Amino acid sequence: MLPSNGLLCKFYARGACRKGDHCEFSHDLNNTSNKLCTFYQRGVCSYGSRCRYDHVKVSRSHSSIPSSSSNSSQFLVADSVTQPSWTVSGGSTVVPSVTSELSTSSRAFSRTAKLAWSQRSGHHSLLDTADVEEYKGPDPANHSMCPYAAAGSCPRGKKCPHVHGDLCPSCGKHCLHPFRPDERQKHMKTCEKERKHLEALTLSQEIECSVCLERVLSKPTAAERKFGLLSDCEHPFCISCIKNWRSSSPASGMDVKSTLRACPICRKVSYFVVPSAIWFSTKEEKMEIVDNYKAKLRAIDCKHFNFGNGTCQFGASCFYKHTVKPGSYLWNSTLMPEIYSSSLTQMDSVDDYSSHTSADVDSDCVHVLFKYLYKSHSPLGMQLENDSDVEDSEDELAMAEEMALFLTLMGFQDSDDELDLSDYDDFCNPWSYDNFCDPWNY
Amino acid sequence: MVDFARVQKELHECNKDIEVSGISIKLKEDNNNSLTHLTGTIPGPLATPYEGGNFNIDIVLPDGYPFEPPRMQFATKVWHPNISSQSGAICLDILKDQWSPALTLKTALLSVQALLSAPEPDDPQDAVVAQQYLRDYQTFAATARYWTETFARSSTLGIEDKVKKLVEMGFPEAQVRSTLESVGGDENMALEKLCSG
Repeated sequence: MLPSNGLLCKFYARGACRKGDHCEFSHDLNNTSNKLCTFYQRGVCSYGSRCRYDHVKVSRSHSSIPSSSSNSSQFLVADSVTQPSWTVSGGSTVVPSVTSELSTSSRAFSRTAKLAWSQRSGHHSLLDTADVEEYKGPDPANHSMCPYAAAGSCPRGKKCPHVHGDLCPSCGKHCLHPFRPDERQKHMKTCEKERKHLEALTLSQEIECSVCLERVLSKPTAAERKFGLLSDCEHPFCISCIKNWRSSSPASGMDVKSTLRACPICRKVSYFVVPSAIWFSTKEEKMEIVDNYKAKLRAIDCKHFNFGNGTCQFGASCFYKHTVKPGSYLWNSTLMPEIYSSSLTQMDSVDDYSSHTSADVDSDCVHVLFKYLYKSHSPLGMQLENDSDVEDSEDELAMAEEMALFLTLMGFQDSDDELDLSDYDDFCNPWSYDNFCDPWNY
Repeated sequence: MVDFARVQKELHECNKDIEVSGISIKLKEDNNNSLTHLTGTIPGPLATPYEGGNFNIDIVLPDGYPFEPPRMQFATKVWHPNISSQSGAICLDILKDQWSPALTLKTALLSVQALLSAPEPDDPQDAVVAQQYLRDYQTFAATARYWTETFARSSTLGIEDKVKKLVEMGFPEAQVRSTLESVGGDENMALEKLCSG
């Protein structure tokens, strides 16, 4: 038995602990500390005399634990506890400070615990100090909020057993927990954010697009109810109008770069348009909208780049993700030789080329592994340490299929050539046999 | 497809402050009240040879409006270096490559009005007029004033005045009335028609 924990094992008490001697809980049924009723310690045990745990009191003098050293905080606890419903409407400035102290002295005893002691003072403690720590009083921060009070009014008023929250200045609800400063701040922050969003939304309602002369947010379809933010000026348009203008065919000699890319109002040239459901009132807000949009696009694969098979005219400044997929044109023509040479030194160096293929590290590793395995079963008969058990071609095919399945699961289902297992030569084509085999020539 | 909602809004807005700007846009009657064929009217700017005249401008909205500029040309004859004295074609950048969808029919007509007061003889539409403007401004101004008096003034007259004027020229009143009606009240066109038979 591991004596580290004095708590009685629940399972052992019922006669069924599978861990036996390795159980971290106590298997000593005679240890009286295990039989103490924790509810009774807190004051009330609903089982009363029928309770199977001992209803004995722990002497207070015994508790030489951290909390007792900070007497002042205990005092305050006792004070606040006398208010049954935890309503702190008036003293909201005082109580949070209490709370912070409370949270530091997590071993605080409550009033009820003291009541229990006072009832049977004749009893001596049967516990050692370590055990007392387990029977701590309820921390006010653990009390749940009263949903009725948060929504408006609580019918139980001061008799309510739950915590009645403080008034949130933003949302006007009693939903700030007086004893959880973190939660308070979090709520205030989100509330403030929501309020700002609502304000911006009300302002946005009034804004008209200067092309269709309609209020952008009053348009018939949801897709149209969006603003198009120009990167270099601050004139509002609806997204469909500004996109139409920028993509309209240059009639009667209109210049694409200077006229169509320009703001219809101030004629300042902008290079991109950002869709937004809300209009901004400050530069910072605009920056936030633009940054969020860019971040969203960065997660999407560029369809022109097509995983290295196509060309994207925007190159490195493209907003979309440029992922080079193993086996793609770009991969074969430029990246592989570098990977190849870096993996010459050691197998672990797959990390080194991750810089070349920015986002696709994991799949690259898989690919190299795939190659590695393939090669290890190649007819050239290279013997690697761990492939001695796989020798005939059937196993080889099974292995390849397994890897293909793995790759498919990783999201490579549409990569065509390299997964075509029926044609082994095709697979190896990008690198000629001899070249590929050299580095593995142990 | 023309954005008819926008055109309707534009017409409404423009005709609201017609007293202030003097610019009005109406549907062209002979075209089934289609919103794609309009007539704009601008007063000649003060302190120019065009003062006192009311110039009609024929407006055709292309399918791409407002992403394509409206096609405008003077229906009233006008003597101006940037307006063809024959066809009424207007040489104005915002009606061509400098068009912007934020411009409206009203702002375009205002620009045309501004063009009347500020001719650009170096970039002419009508070379004869431009040459005259540069070489002999007095003659140019006199001609422009005369054309304004002759062609742009008449529209200010009531229908009865026009009838009276034409009857005085020796045409029978019934014929004058029917002819005037057929050309939409244009005195000069009626006269032309009456003379040609």
